[in-house]
Order: sequence, then C-alpha cells, then structure tokens
Amino acid sequence: MATLRDIKRKISSINSTQTITRTMKMVSASKLRRAQEELDRIKAYAIKMEELVGRVAQTLPANAHPLLVEREEVKNVLILSIASDKGLCGAFNVNIGLQAENFIAQQKGQYERVGVYVFGRKAKDYLQRRKVDIVKDWVDIRKVDQAIVDGITSDLIRYFVEGEFDKIYLSYTHFHSAVKQIGVFEEFLPLKPKLDQEGTEYLYEPGRSAIVESLIPKYLSTKIYYALVESQTSEHAARMAAMENATSNCGEMVRYLTLVYNKRRQEGITNEMMDIVGGAEALRGT
Amino acid sequence: MSVLNLEIITAEKVLVNEEVDMVEAKGSLGEFGILPGHVQFLTLLEIGEVRYVKDGKTSYLATSGGFGEVADDKVTFLLDTAEFAQDIDLERAKIAMEEAQERLKEFEMDTAEYRMHELALFRALARLQVASRKL
Repeated sequence: MATLRDIKRKISSINSTQTITRTMKMVSASKLRRAQEELDRIKAYAIKMEELVGRVAQTLPANAHPLLVEREEVKNVLILSIASDKGLCGAFNVNIGLQAENFIAQQKGQYERVGVYVFGRKAKDYLQRRKVDIVKDWVDIRKVDQAIVDGITSDLIRYFVEGEFDKIYLSYTHFHSAVKQIGVFEEFLPLKPKLDQEGTEYLYEPGRSAIVESLIPKYLSTKIYYALVESQTSEHAARMAAMENATSNCGEMVRYLTLVYNKRRQEGITNEMMDIVGGAEALRGT
Repeated sequence: MSVLNLEIITAEKVLVNEEVDMVEAKGSLGEFGILPGHVQFLTLLEIGEVRYVKDGKTSYLATSGGFGEVADDKVTFLLDTAEFAQDIDLERAKIAMEEAQERLKEFEMDTAEYRMHELALFRALARLQVASRKL
C-alpha cells in the first residue's frame, strides 16, 4: 500500500511534469504563430501559381510535358510522406505513417513495388519498424528552405521521368485551423491541374513549350514547399493541443491524488485517536 | 482612363498589389512594356529590373526571374525573389558581384558551376543597377 510519503512524492512529480508540459505548450504556441505567418506569406504565391497552371493547362494537349502523361501500366508507386522529426504532438506523426501503411496494406497486390519517400524522423522510424520500403529519407531538418525543397522536387521528377516510379502520391497534414488539422492523401504525379476555371489563350514568349518546361517544375516545388510549411504549422498546432491536454490531465491527477492523500491522512488520524481512546479506556478499567 | 491591376508576388510576400499606369520588365525575348489593353500574354521573366509607373512616379524592383502574366488588364508577376530599389543593400550587392567575378575565373566556360556563378553575377548586377535608381 502506498504510504502518505509515496503519495506526496507522486504529487510533486506530477506537478513538475505539469510545469514542463505547460511550458512546452507555450513554446509551441509561439512557434505556431511564427509558422502561421510563414504559411500566410507563401499562400498567396502558391494560390496564384495554382491558378496560373490551371489556366495554362486548360489549353495544353495531354502530352505537352512528360510530367503530365498518365502511364498506361502503373507498376511502381511512390508515396511522399511528410511528417516531423519530433514527437510529443499527439497522433500527428502516426496519422501520416498510418496513411502510408493503410495504402500499402490495401493496394499491395496491385503493384510490384510501393515505396515511401519520407520526410521527418518519427514517420521514418514508424515505417521502418513496419518493414516498409523506404526509398529515401530526410531527417533532422531544422528549417524548411528552398534548397531542401529543390532537392525533394528534383528527386521526385527524376524518379518519375526515368520510370522508376509510375505514380507518386503526396501525404501530408493540411492546416485547417489551430484546433483542426486534416491528413491529406492525394495524387501528385502525373500532374493533374485543377481544370475548374476557364482556360486562356496566351501569347507565349518565348514559346509555350519553353514556358511549360519551366512552369511545371516550379509549380511542383511550390506545391512541395507549401505542403512542408503546412505540415510544420500543423505539427506545432498538434503539439500545442497535445500539451494542453497533458497539462489538464496533470491537473486532474493532482486533484485526485490530493483527495486520496487527505483521505489517507484522515484515516491515520482516526486510527491513532481510536488507539488513544482504546488505551485510555483500558487504563481506566484497572 | 483604364488602369492596370498589378500584383507582384514572391514566395516571401506580396510586394505590390495596386493600380498602376504602366509596367515594364525584362522577358526572355528582351524588355517589354505593358499598357492597359495589352494582349493576353505569358512570359518568362529574366534576371533584371521591373519598373512600374503610378501617378507619374516610377518604382523600381530588382528580380531574379519568374513568370509574368497579363490577362484583362490584370498583370501578375510570380517572382522567385524581388526587392524594391530602396531595400537593396548596396554594399552586399557589390560584394556579391566581386565574389561572383572572382569565382567565374576558376571555372571553365559552359560548365554547370560557371553557369551558376554567372547567374549570381547577373543577379548582383541587376541589384546594383536597380539600387542606383534611387539616387
């Protein structure tokens, strides 16, 4: 049975845990704010790029660029999984891992090979434990920058163009709001620009193929950059929520343990009093 | 009088979003100007200068290239990087230029490294040119 001292020690240990989780929550909150600012900055560019590509793609023949061509036979599939290096953020990393795992479990029979191109240590560890075919990983990334984005983009383009993979999926966490993040699993290559707006016939300078040639890789890298920043923002939001939960759970536990502690103490006092009364009673009898 | 709606956007931020009278920039086939009523137009922008005129006042930006789109008097420039003339650090641009010139001597022509440093030189030159406009 736990003694009074044990309970007291437990309470103080939970209290210090609570201090830590509360601090982590506040750190995540300030990181979230900064990440959100970055997201807002790049958002305008990403949206305009998407619109522009959509308008140009309307008037393009399907085979205008190798990255637009749908393969007749899809044998090898790649999943680009974007998660994070650090844990303590709820189900954030596991969700991304699960998306890839479920896809592989369901579709394994259809394809010869399903590879995963993974960003973030936690997702990598998760998938590695489950013996998933990891093509390449990026871990220990401090800050998402253009160099990383260009690296990933050129890898993916190379895999696709050289025929190593016939289809590439993108799996990341969309930042809906500070309390809601949604896992996204979508087709990435071959490229399918949204065709929901009117196409525009442009005067192209120097020429349409030259522009498409540089517009499409740029579009892909913008998309990846955006997904990375969104994932980062979601990570901080998820961590903030997880730490918020942990802090309130700590509070609840302290309340419960304090109750137990007081009960136990009261019990001790009652027992002692009964001893004294019993003793006194026995003495009087003599 | 009709005006142009100009938006200049980089991955960093939205630099310009206003109504202007004229835009000039350097495309892959040379400098071009845009006035209201321009044909629908899509071009690759080169490293160089972007100018626009508003109420008789000209503003200058240095850019490292991107895409320029004109449709229905809406001009959208999606640029990799861009800086206003007054924001350019002249000293840094000079150092970047000298460095690029030095590095260029180390490499053979037509190698990837040569091309890379050549582009760095062009960017520095563009920034110097634009920066000199504010004087």
